[in-house]
Amino acid sequence: MFGNQDRLTNYDPGEFREKIRLIKWLVLLAFFILISRLWYLQVVKGDNLRQRSENNRIRIHEIKPLRGLIMDTHGNILVDNQSSFDISIIPEAAKNIEDVMNTLARLCGWGPDAIFCENVSLKSGRPFVPVRIGRNIGRDKLAIVETNSMDLPGVVVDVVPVREYIHGETMAHILGYVGDISTSELGGDAYSGYRSDDIVGKYGIEKYLDGYLKGERGGEQTEVDAAGRRLNVLGKTKSVSGHNVLLTIDADLQKICWDAFDEKAGTVIVMDPHTGSVMALINKPSFEPNLFNRGISGERWKKLTTNPLCPLQNRAVSGQYPPGSTYKLLVAAAALEEGLIKENTKIFCDGTYRMGDRTFRCWKKGGHGTIDLHRAIVESCDVYFYNLGEMLGVDKMAEYAAKFGFGYTTGIALPGEKEGLIPTKEWKLKKYGEPWQKGETTSLSIGQGFVLVTPVQLLRAYCAIANGGILYKPRLIKRIETVNGQVVRDFPPEIERNLPVSKKHIDVLKYALWGAVNEPHGTGGILKREEKDVCGKTGTAQVISLQENESDDIPYRFRDHALLVCFVPYKDPVIAVLVVVEHGGHGGSVSAPIARRIVDGYFNLKRKE
Amino acid sequence: MKIDRRLFANFDWVLLGLVLLISGIGILNLYSAGYNLNAGGEPFYTKQMSWILLGLVVMVITFSIDYHIIIRHAYLIYVVSLSLLLLVFFYGNITHGSQRWLLLYGFSFQPSELMKLAIIIVLARYFDDNMEREYRFGNLVVLLTIVGIPFFMIARQPDLGTAMFLMILFLSMAVFVGVGRKFLIYFTLGGLILAPLCWFFLKDYQRERILTFLNPERDPLGAGYHIIQSIIAIGSGGIWGKGFLKGTQTQLRFLPEQQTDFAFSVFAEEWGFGGVFALMFIFLMLILWGFKITRYSRDLPGALLAFGVTIFVFWGIFINVGMVVGIFPVVGIPLPFFSYGGSSMMILMIGAGLLMNVSMRRFILQP
Repeated sequence: MFGNQDRLTNYDPGEFREKIRLIKWLVLLAFFILISRLWYLQVVKGDNLRQRSENNRIRIHEIKPLRGLIMDTHGNILVDNQSSFDISIIPEAAKNIEDVMNTLARLCGWGPDAIFCENVSLKSGRPFVPVRIGRNIGRDKLAIVETNSMDLPGVVVDVVPVREYIHGETMAHILGYVGDISTSELGGDAYSGYRSDDIVGKYGIEKYLDGYLKGERGGEQTEVDAAGRRLNVLGKTKSVSGHNVLLTIDADLQKICWDAFDEKAGTVIVMDPHTGSVMALINKPSFEPNLFNRGISGERWKKLTTNPLCPLQNRAVSGQYPPGSTYKLLVAAAALEEGLIKENTKIFCDGTYRMGDRTFRCWKKGGHGTIDLHRAIVESCDVYFYNLGEMLGVDKMAEYAAKFGFGYTTGIALPGEKEGLIPTKEWKLKKYGEPWQKGETTSLSIGQGFVLVTPVQLLRAYCAIANGGILYKPRLIKRIETVNGQVVRDFPPEIERNLPVSKKHIDVLKYALWGAVNEPHGTGGILKREEKDVCGKTGTAQVISLQENESDDIPYRFRDHALLVCFVPYKDPVIAVLVVVEHGGHGGSVSAPIARRIVDGYFNLKRKE
Repeated sequence: MKIDRRLFANFDWVLLGLVLLISGIGILNLYSAGYNLNAGGEPFYTKQMSWILLGLVVMVITFSIDYHIIIRHAYLIYVVSLSLLLLVFFYGNITHGSQRWLLLYGFSFQPSELMKLAIIIVLARYFDDNMEREYRFGNLVVLLTIVGIPFFMIARQPDLGTAMFLMILFLSMAVFVGVGRKFLIYFTLGGLILAPLCWFFLKDYQRERILTFLNPERDPLGAGYHIIQSIIAIGSGGIWGKGFLKGTQTQLRFLPEQQTDFAFSVFAEEWGFGGVFALMFIFLMLILWGFKITRYSRDLPGALLAFGVTIFVFWGIFINVGMVVGIFPVVGIPLPFFSYGGSSMMILMIGAGLLMNVSMRRFILQP
């Protein structure tokens, strides 16, 4: 029927059988390769790839905690959390993204570029994942977005908490500010456990207590599909708000200090002599911490960092100044304790003092005549202390300085504290390779030369005199509480040491400080109140040494720093105030009026209460 | 035409059984792949069932006609297939930037699939006509013309994968009949010279695919996405799989092209190495059964047809599975009897029909 008989004769199945066998082996090899590969993927790499499939499927949405509040000693809120508004777009819901973006830009009056700045990956292939397109839009813009929501499909508003520093620049150096964690911070040990999108304290208390303030982030585990659509919640942990912090600061007194300080640059600290609590601390010039809330502009940052008056510096703890005459009290204490003088030891001052081939002068031309220790402190006689310095020697003075808390950090709860500098013979040799010169001791005995102290060191040393000899650790934090008010950690006043000065000698010194304000020819006369209850000492920190009669009309940056420390009242002091006016000239005339205003303000405040 | 009753006595139940087994697993798999797909319309697995049923009818028709008649009309079949390819060239539907489909009465049809079978038939005829010990240059020219025309037409669509597939079928059959070593060397050298030239004619997405194959991670969200997600799906199945309907890569749609090119990955994710091993074993059985039919076919055209169809199925399996496990570049070759696709299923059913045709007639002496 089909008639192809002749072809059958050509057909040799044997030859093909051989070939088929060979091809069969090749096919088996091919299957073996595929099976091996499948074995490798599913059995050898199975766990690894299963993990990757889980990573595909499970998204963790972070729930950010609220940062703790910071309050003053009376519980008045100093730092609050405010709502800021971010806008995002969900590509899938927007349909035509470009149209929506253009509409949004038009409604809000933004340039077309302003809104695309964070437009990283609109085409990521995950159309249900919101993409942030604008940060920290104002309430006016929020209103526009909300009322036009019909024309803006896919645009969603996220409420993000931001810090609000209620007192703005007046407390900037205490409270600090927050910002996005930097890559260098992330790498350090201090920030282990932090993540790249965390907000951290960058300065001040915000930085110092970041661990307490930040709270614990919560999270939500959701299953998503390939498009990024959230399907169901697999697990959830709540975020825990950060702890609230109560400071020792009194917001009203802080305001008084801010207003009282009418000079260009300097610092004021007010301390409670009986506890070492910092009641107020201001720095001028200052900066506006609210500008840092959601990232400060590069231009503003540059302006802050290049300002020659250094608004970012917290002078109270990191400013280092020669203490000037305020140092005389320490020299007097040392001489009394060492038995080198008695309180009635008299020294003759003719206005000059010879040390080797150099002549040192008293600030008062013609000298003070024959005076005792009390008058020497009251009138701040330099020659009297030149003599005490020679008796004591540099190393003895350094020994007492350390006991008064100079030359090392006080441990105040603020970042960036400096140590100051208390020179010794050994130090000089090490640093300069030269031996100590006798004349340097002479300068040192009136707080000039190498010696440097920070304002907070100086004030607490005076507080120790005021309270009868107890050197406190400066206290800035009163208490840390949970949101519900449970105490997490209490910070009672901490005594660092007792001054190595007898009660009797402290009374001598304290009385001399009273005299400096209330007796005739006292250098702190401006501070004298009707109550005659202020004790104080002025100081002039030389920036460069000047020849006589040259002190008027010198350039600002070469002018001396004006220092003043005082405490009130004489009997049982309740506040101690330190004022530093940078380049303010002579101590008494510039810094004393400021201190006076603060003391008066404080008592007015007390009266009102 | 009278059909010999003895044909039914020799009916190849094993072949039918293997084909139905694989298609059945394929339907189950398509059910899972479409389980969470709420895009209205008829689900893929029921459509595939219709194709299989229709395919069975076509299969019966195919094995009812003596394959010698089919061989006799080989050139006609070839010319018809070419004409359809030409129609695609002028009237084809464009999807995803390439022109592969022909719309007939509401059905879309892929003539390039038909061409795979036509090439097998026409080559069987040609080799049967010219069963000589030494092939000459003239033979080479004719053969290259026969394969070359559809190759370029399909490559132009562009569908380089299918075009290369034709070339592979041709080479396999040429090796099988023993065209001679010299012939193969010329051909290979020619290929090696032409390959770099081809690079310039490739479309961007084709180059992209080759580069992506070489390093899938170079663009994980773009061109490399398919292969990475496929490897994750397969590997995450582990030894025993995540369970039917429980493959997260599949159900949450991380895996692309689940119904077609990557259907095997769906199966591998949900059934694990155990399931995959079983499936590959069944495929291997099918191939070996095809070789058995080839060996026992009673004449040369039968052997050539049987071998052609078997090797066609083999290359489909090897290339598709090789592609989803990341050892071959992504080319659109479906997994035989398993991936969704009307044209492909029809052609495979006709192919199975041809195999049965040869198998059933091995003992029947022509009157």
